[in-house]
Amino acid sequence: MAASFGKCFLTDFSPDAFVSTCRELRVLNAVRERGVGLPLTHTQFKQLTLQVLIDRLVYRQFYPLAIEVCRYLKIPDYQGVSRVLKHWASCKVQQKDLSDEAIARAVCVKVGDSPGVSYSDIAAKAYECGRTELAIKLLDSEARSGEQVPLLLKMKKSQLALSKAVESGDTDLVYTVVTYLKNEMNRGDFFMTLRNQPVALSLYRQFCKLQEQETLKDLYNQDDDHQELANYYVTASYREKRLDSRLSLLQSAVDEYNKAKNEFSAKATEEEMRLLRIQRKLDEEKGAGLLGLSLQATIEALLALGLHKQAEQLYRDFRVPDKRFWWLKLKSLAEKEEWEELEKFSKSKKSPIGYLAFVEVCMKSNNKHEAKKYVSKVTPEQRVKAHLAVGDLEGAADAAIERKSDSELAAVLAKCPASDRQLVDRLNRAAATAAKK
Amino acid sequence: MTEKLRQLRKQPNMAHSARTDCPELPDFFLLKRLARDQLIYLLEQLPGKKDLFIEADLMSPLDRIANVSTLKQHEVDKLYKVEYKPIVSTSDQLCFLIRPRIQTVKWICDVANADKAAGRFRRYKIIFTPQKFYACDAVLEEQGIIGDVTTDEWSFYLLPLDDDIISLELPEFFRDNFLAGDQRWVRTAGSALHLLHSLYGPFSKVYGIGRCSKMAYESWREQVEEGEQKARQAEIGKVFLIDRDVDFVTPLCSQVVYEGLVDDIFKIKCACVEFGPDVTSSDKSIKVMLNSQDRVFNEIRNEHFSNVFGFLSQKARNLQTSYDKRRGMDIKQMKTFVSEELKGLKQEHRLLSLHIGACESIMKKKTKQDFQELLKTEHSLLEGFEIRESISYIEEHINRQVSMIESLRLLCLLSITENGLLPKDYRSLKAQYLQSYGVDHLLTFANLRQLGLLVEQQPGETLTVMESKVGKLVNDRTAGKLSDAFSSLAKKSNFRALSRKLNLVPKSDEEYDLRVPRDMAYIFSGAYVPLSCKLIEQVLERDGWTGLEEVTRLLNGHEFAVTGSTGADSKAKNDAQRIILVMFLGGCTFSEISALRFLGRERGCKFIVVTTAITNSSRLIEALLDNIV
Repeated sequence: MAASFGKCFLTDFSPDAFVSTCRELRVLNAVRERGVGLPLTHTQFKQLTLQVLIDRLVYRQFYPLAIEVCRYLKIPDYQGVSRVLKHWASCKVQQKDLSDEAIARAVCVKVGDSPGVSYSDIAAKAYECGRTELAIKLLDSEARSGEQVPLLLKMKKSQLALSKAVESGDTDLVYTVVTYLKNEMNRGDFFMTLRNQPVALSLYRQFCKLQEQETLKDLYNQDDDHQELANYYVTASYREKRLDSRLSLLQSAVDEYNKAKNEFSAKATEEEMRLLRIQRKLDEEKGAGLLGLSLQATIEALLALGLHKQAEQLYRDFRVPDKRFWWLKLKSLAEKEEWEELEKFSKSKKSPIGYLAFVEVCMKSNNKHEAKKYVSKVTPEQRVKAHLAVGDLEGAADAAIERKSDSELAAVLAKCPASDRQLVDRLNRAAATAAKK
Repeated sequence: MTEKLRQLRKQPNMAHSARTDCPELPDFFLLKRLARDQLIYLLEQLPGKKDLFIEADLMSPLDRIANVSTLKQHEVDKLYKVEYKPIVSTSDQLCFLIRPRIQTVKWICDVANADKAAGRFRRYKIIFTPQKFYACDAVLEEQGIIGDVTTDEWSFYLLPLDDDIISLELPEFFRDNFLAGDQRWVRTAGSALHLLHSLYGPFSKVYGIGRCSKMAYESWREQVEEGEQKARQAEIGKVFLIDRDVDFVTPLCSQVVYEGLVDDIFKIKCACVEFGPDVTSSDKSIKVMLNSQDRVFNEIRNEHFSNVFGFLSQKARNLQTSYDKRRGMDIKQMKTFVSEELKGLKQEHRLLSLHIGACESIMKKKTKQDFQELLKTEHSLLEGFEIRESISYIEEHINRQVSMIESLRLLCLLSITENGLLPKDYRSLKAQYLQSYGVDHLLTFANLRQLGLLVEQQPGETLTVMESKVGKLVNDRTAGKLSDAFSSLAKKSNFRALSRKLNLVPKSDEEYDLRVPRDMAYIFSGAYVPLSCKLIEQVLERDGWTGLEEVTRLLNGHEFAVTGSTGADSKAKNDAQRIILVMFLGGCTFSEISALRFLGRERGCKFIVVTTAITNSSRLIEALLDNIV
């Protein structure tokens, strides 16, 4: 009272100290009440500190009063109200006379999402008191999945732990649960659990790919995933050095592909097996060093070695498209500069890749003389290109003029040196007449 | 000759008609300094001399953060590259700086166990970057050396490659996340975003599309809630997150903008390129940093290649004039010229001759007939014309074994743009490919199919058929099969419909002047506006996804737009609102960056590109190969 009176005479005095002291005195009055019975002087209170006072109230379970004090003295939530609520909730879950449902609801309503109150801590308390169901209910309110998982595992609720971990998006957490499950469950159950959690499954698969190839196989087997199983065998076959084991792995792959109704892959794998056998035979007979090459590379190698008969055999056996074979043979002959053979080959039947290819391949080997032989055989559409390829401007001009095509005339013109007046004029005239039409 | 002169006179101002009010970019040097300081701190945790083993693909990023002398200052004795072989170090302390990969951890276990067997005692420390995974600990434990090593994390999430490019340098993000369904990097992306947010935020608006984007966003939000928030002036206003699988078409196209072309041909690594003897016209290779510090490069990086050579020759002329100035100078003028200008001119001269060399080398490779035909095929695929011709072009490509990667790229482009191949074509092209490159590619094809990059058309399978199928499966209750059905529903590319909706392919009958680009299509010679960038443009324009419902349906959804808590003061600082961070999850190409730079100039804003790695068509395809080589 005296302070209040005296204050009126001071103008430049900060009222803060006055206000806070008044508030504290009111709190002291409140705890002096009969129901509480904590008579404290202000000095004692200061010595004791507010934290301790609140703790005492909490221990004596005067939760509402403690909360009111916190609010009244404006203590930050995580030091004040939240702490009290945490204690209250921990106490609440021990009340044996209430149903799980009722307690969970009461806790959620009171605690809401006050900062600093961890539902998982409360749930842990509930679990300690043997109330697993309540703990699970409480965990549902925990916002951070990372906090839910360890407790769930402790409570042996592994399935739930796994789905919570997946929800969290934290793969390390998922992985922790997966490892735990792997040790706890028998293999079949473990795989079944994973099957229902695609995220966990792909994570585990990734790990197996690097660490436990065999497990991977079991996983696919369990799922009847024949496609993946076949792919697994194919991969395994490439790690195998010995041809026989390789072939037997590929055979397993074929079987699985068939089960997966993937005829295409089954056939392709069968052909690969056939090719491997042929390669082995040729390697043994001719020392050709073919094993493991692709079909194309095999034919190429055979042609390079001059084993034309064997190459053609492969071409027929594996139904290699004509075009591909012609390209291969053409390139190979030109590279070895067997021009006579090449000419014979060009006449063996009508070329499925046209004759411009012959011209270009010869030019690539810088043999203009040979290239020219094929220019006349080129189809009219490509003749200008062929003439240009061998550097025959006159011929190109003639062909272009004959075909009366704008774009081809322009193409020839672009190559013409300006010095060749006569030719340029001729082309320009032709272009003009072509344009008129 | 006259033609050339005319070209030169027509030389446009390369800066385009840029808006002059573009805001300044924030300074990302801070990111480097933070990373360096933390690394030094970690090295000092192992006092005394030590040998440092560095994961091969961390060498270049590390070099941008701390050079050898910095490392030596902190008692690193010798530096080795991790090569998965027994080691020869004589040091008593070994430090390993690695990515959290099981394979590398296993190798370290081998090293430690070999020492044990030899009765040798050493101290081992593993520094994982950007973070450690539980699986790494599991391996250490399994191999029985978890007690012998100490582990740490170097949270080096972001490497600024240039003023406006930041990379996570995690190329494996793409395969792990999109192909294997392994989401472990999502949290990493969230943490990277969190770091940017705490240094340059708070962001006022976040948009995104894609499953992974959404998860990364959520992971970031979680981290924001856990930490405390300091109020500060935002330097970056908006954020756009996009998954790579939203748009596969763009990275599969041949790049024709200078920087992209250089990447396609010479392979840019960590903003650095090695030009071989054919470029430098000497017998040596030269490593060149390619960023905005290089004045010549900075002016041509975003240009369509057809403009670059003209620009460079003009530049060469100007340089000559500057040199010529010195004629008729008196001694005093000469002195100032030498001290002030000559060094700059010399440097410019050096850069200019390098880029001219690079250009010539590119021209040799890329102006040939085959490249023109290749581009023509790509353009017809994008437009959806002359598909038969394109298919036979691809067939010949495969038959002649032009390139293993290129053939696959074309096949994928064909499949995506056509919503899958006809069963007949699918089989025959695949069979021919296997004949060319070996049966092991069966696995590659399985991967491409899983990702929806190369698939068979389901005859008459409309969306409703799919939906009824899904409905049946729901009754089946087999989660695995259900997710399969969903994913195959999701994997429909719908490119043609999207292209119509968003007007991605401009009408081809109009002449497109590449010197004066009128839209982002210029990065593909005017033939195609990149889908990814078009989405960004549209969403920014509409401030959300309203009006794009049909588009998001075709893209299979997962879009979001969230307004940040600090909506009030966002109006106050307007500049930050025009700084937009675009995060590509799964990589982005230089062409996309060029397109965004163009968009920024048009709209008076600036884009910062954050990507898990810089990618291009060959890196994308190579990540999906499964042949054993």
